[in-house]
Amino acid sequence: MKVLFVCSGGMSSAIIVNTLKKEAQKNGMEMEVLAVGTSEFPAEVQNGWDIAMVAPQVRHRFNLFKESADEANVPIAQIPPTAYSPLGGPALLKVIQETIV
Amino acid sequence: MNKFVAFLEKYLSGPMAKLSEQQHIRAIRDGVVSALPFIIFGSIFLIIANPPIPENWAFYVWAKENIATILIPYRLTMYIMTLYITFGIGYSLSQSYKIDALSGGLVSIAAFLFTIGVQSTEEFGFVLPMANLGGHGLFVAMLVAVFSVEVLRLCKQKNITIKMPEAVPSSVARSFEALIPIVIILGVMTVITVVFNLDLHSMVDKVVAPIIKGGDTIFGVTIPVFLITFFWAFGIHGMSVVGAVIRPVWEVYLAKNGEAAASGMPLPYVAPETFFQWFVWIGGAGATLGLVIAMFISARSKYSKSMAKATFIPSIFNINEPVIFGMPIVLNPILIIPFIIVPLVTTVITYICVTVGLVSATYVMAPWTLPAPIGAYLATGGDWRAIILVLVNIAISTIIYLPFFKIYDRQLVAQEQLEEESLKEVVEETTETAPIKPSTDGNAPS
Repeated sequence: MKVLFVCSGGMSSAIIVNTLKKEAQKNGMEMEVLAVGTSEFPAEVQNGWDIAMVAPQVRHRFNLFKESADEANVPIAQIPPTAYSPLGGPALLKVIQETIV
Repeated sequence: MNKFVAFLEKYLSGPMAKLSEQQHIRAIRDGVVSALPFIIFGSIFLIIANPPIPENWAFYVWAKENIATILIPYRLTMYIMTLYITFGIGYSLSQSYKIDALSGGLVSIAAFLFTIGVQSTEEFGFVLPMANLGGHGLFVAMLVAVFSVEVLRLCKQKNITIKMPEAVPSSVARSFEALIPIVIILGVMTVITVVFNLDLHSMVDKVVAPIIKGGDTIFGVTIPVFLITFFWAFGIHGMSVVGAVIRPVWEVYLAKNGEAAASGMPLPYVAPETFFQWFVWIGGAGATLGLVIAMFISARSKYSKSMAKATFIPSIFNINEPVIFGMPIVLNPILIIPFIIVPLVTTVITYICVTVGLVSATYVMAPWTLPAPIGAYLATGGDWRAIILVLVNIAISTIIYLPFFKIYDRQLVAQEQLEEESLKEVVEETTETAPIKPSTDGNAPS
């Protein structure tokens, strides 16, 4: 599964990327996760991702991200604030599974 | 409390965050941000030209003798930052309108160069005076870039363009498509700057002068600081909202301070962006490094202990979303209080220290992910007192965060005990049926 994160600069979500990767490993899932900043998102989302996840601090731009994601036919979801934490792995995985199904 | 929060979100932070996504504001922000690597590169040479070492060292003497040469890379990047920003604004705005971004960037630069004018000298022939290509020209650049792209868009909407027969290759056709709008844009610029010989820069200067002056006062520095943490309290990236509006002003301060440093003059402004970055946002927005240290000192709950470990290293590099959303600070009535107070206190302290000359003002831009003491040292062009001020600010923020954290941590401990007890009860009741998996839910027990 390929998951694309977007936050302001692609920095903070890089931490959450590792959290999600570990959680996926624990559950025996194969997961490729990448974090990008807002400006890179419209181009990157075209590259065959299974789901795009929007960090809570940029949720006011959700509609903009959704436009690009819709163009690329990628489902998109907001990361709940409480899941956006180094200890939020299980909650993150749950949102992803719910969105894709 | 919840109603109050919903009210603020609906009528205040929500609409303001939306405003920051307004296309022009967003394009200006992205344009300014796109020039940051060039500004950082140019900054390095400001440090080399004014090395933070004793004046009798050979390197210092060499640097002073060759200062004009050393500063050439600075002159071609940071010193003319507005040239780069202009392209960035034109490009981003065109992109958001889904029109050819390259044309938008290029025509913005052309329109901007018309405002600079050409001089002729005997020695060099025709020259472009560089001063207005720097921070000084930023507001004119914003205006002409927006004007240029709006004309492009209007021409496209109204279909004012040269139509080529179908046999003409599309790349050729496209080059003609941009022709009419560009003729209009540069025609207007010719009339303004050549025919009427108007100096847009001095006109805009008069308009923005009060903003430039006001932004560097104690109110001018505390208001954005308050707003940034206020937005974060709702979980919205405060800097990207507030910075969208105020960043150009901060960039002007940085440019002016850089120019002053390059020519050995006293630094005119207290508060470029670097002021906030290194002295206030230590550990990220809300100066949360102090909170993380407070967590290390006094955490009792398991949750706080593991959060302290997980967030300490990112905090050193000023990445604190894990703290803000993880603790959480967002919508947490206890932690929001110090989160808003701490940066205001350190802002005032730093402002006073800089104005009375205890610490040098900043004029060098370093990557924001550096640890604050190092960043502050570089940003002040190598003032060791800046390191002390950063450490003092960290200590102050830790002291203010500590009591609030203790209250919150006590709540966490109580919740953890409650959860354990209820878990035990469940275990006792169901030991014979199925083993209980301990809760692996990473959410803050709230």
